[in-house]
Amino acid sequence: MERRAVIAQPSTGTSADDALVSAARAGDRSAFGLLYDRYARMVHGILLCRVPPREVDDLVQEVFLLALRKLDSLRDISRFGAWLGTITRNRANDHYRRANRAEQPMEPAEEEKAQSRSNDHVAEQEAAMTLAVLRTLPETYREPLMLRLVEGMTGPEIAARMGLTHGSVRVNLHRGMQMLREKLAEKAAPGAERNARANKASGQNE
Amino acid sequence: MKDDYLWDGSGEPDQEVQKLENVLGRYRHEQTSPAFDQLAAEKPARRHWSFPLSRLSFQLAAVAAAVLIGVTFLVIRVRQEKYSGPVWEIARIEGAPRVGWHSLNANSESAKLKVGQTLVTDNSSRASITLDETGRIEVDPASRLRVVASGPNRKRLSLERGTIHATIWAPPGEFVVDTPSAVAVDLGCVYTLHVDDSGAGLLRTTMGWVGFKLNGHESFIPAGAVCATRPKIGPGTPYFEDAAASFRDALTKFDFAKITPQERNALLGILLVDARKEDALTLWHLLSRVSDADRPGVFDRLAALASPPEDVTREGILRLDQKMLDSWWNSFGYGDVYLWHMYERTWSEPSKAK
Repeated sequence: MERRAVIAQPSTGTSADDALVSAARAGDRSAFGLLYDRYARMVHGILLCRVPPREVDDLVQEVFLLALRKLDSLRDISRFGAWLGTITRNRANDHYRRANRAEQPMEPAEEEKAQSRSNDHVAEQEAAMTLAVLRTLPETYREPLMLRLVEGMTGPEIAARMGLTHGSVRVNLHRGMQMLREKLAEKAAPGAERNARANKASGQNE
Repeated sequence: MKDDYLWDGSGEPDQEVQKLENVLGRYRHEQTSPAFDQLAAEKPARRHWSFPLSRLSFQLAAVAAAVLIGVTFLVIRVRQEKYSGPVWEIARIEGAPRVGWHSLNANSESAKLKVGQTLVTDNSSRASITLDETGRIEVDPASRLRVVASGPNRKRLSLERGTIHATIWAPPGEFVVDTPSAVAVDLGCVYTLHVDDSGAGLLRTTMGWVGFKLNGHESFIPAGAVCATRPKIGPGTPYFEDAAASFRDALTKFDFAKITPQERNALLGILLVDARKEDALTLWHLLSRVSDADRPGVFDRLAALASPPEDVTREGILRLDQKMLDSWWNSFGYGDVYLWHMYERTWSEPSKAK
């Protein structure tokens, strides 16, 4: 199925968000619903960087319910996105910690591989493998790329939602994409890489 | 620009980016908004009490209810005056951790840790404390941990000595730990904090990041990095633990040793030469810790390791323009520094800082 690559929100204006945050703090739940519409993709993408895909949807709901309860503790309403992002990362960390305690977790990449093994569909296998590689990138690059490639957000939208500058998001998208290309190329040619390593090792032994 | 399509979907489509969008798009968020407005309408269902029909029974029940409400009110009032705010639950892990005169042993049920109380572990005991909406803290042997404040959006502990391992899921800025030589402000993280008998500390972040502050001296410690503190000096410069030994040694002396300006220059030289790409974290902190004369050298080395974003200029950094420093920090992706600016002023210096 073809998807629209980039889905720009009707408005990324932060002043509109500020008004919604103010209204939500005053008890307007429909305003909070609109904040959900604007920020759910960001929360979803951040979670997807850290927890298995099948668990992300439930956690998105939990994050927003926690944010609703804690909204009074946000002193600067213009930082709602950054604040929500941190709550999301904390919730993901907590989820990971609880999972650790309950059972020995699989590495995300292993889990994706296991999922893909049980599924014959080539496209799904490719998606699972690509997601697993994306999740191995440093956090700096992983989050903006996840929001851009998976959630379909534009760079300016990522910057506005996360409270970052255009410059930093652009740099991280660019560098992250370079790193992702390299890792995917390595993945596509494991034999070549192995040969190169073997040649290097034999060269050292000679 | 070449990456316009990656940036905002404009310009000539990059086929590789398009392919990735199609492949990964299946994971995209699709859920519609929950009915938050209905949450507001949800109220606990009222219980309908049924009384015996006789008038006397009804009157007796009313009197009993009034007495019960009065007693309950008084009890709650007294308890609230004594201990306000949420209470940490203590669980013994091993040995016999102590709160005041009360020791927890293997047969003890979990206990509470309230404002003003101190949890003490000897050399053979360990415990954990948990607060539902804040986090969990494991307390290692030979530690003293006191609850300073426990308001709805304010949790403050004081680690007087020993080691704690904190996993915090509260919103950023809600949880802080005082030490004798710095205040650690949680900005979304898992970390270990150690304080020795002299009051010196070491903070090691495992996930997220932590802010460390004393007397206007502040350090940001992202995952994988550590930062030492010393009484009267405050937090040193954070660094990644896998940095070269020469780099770490030079940094410790640079931060805390009593040295001449010449020795300081020599140490700075080692730091700049031995810095790897990852050590941009350390060099960024050094920008505001070196003299005006040394700052250009630090800028040039940092710019070579991690290009500054478009809105950051050499001139701006040399005059320590806060917005530009913040922007450069944010480009590293460790965490949004504006969160720190938002919360750090609300937490005063530790009362026991020496």
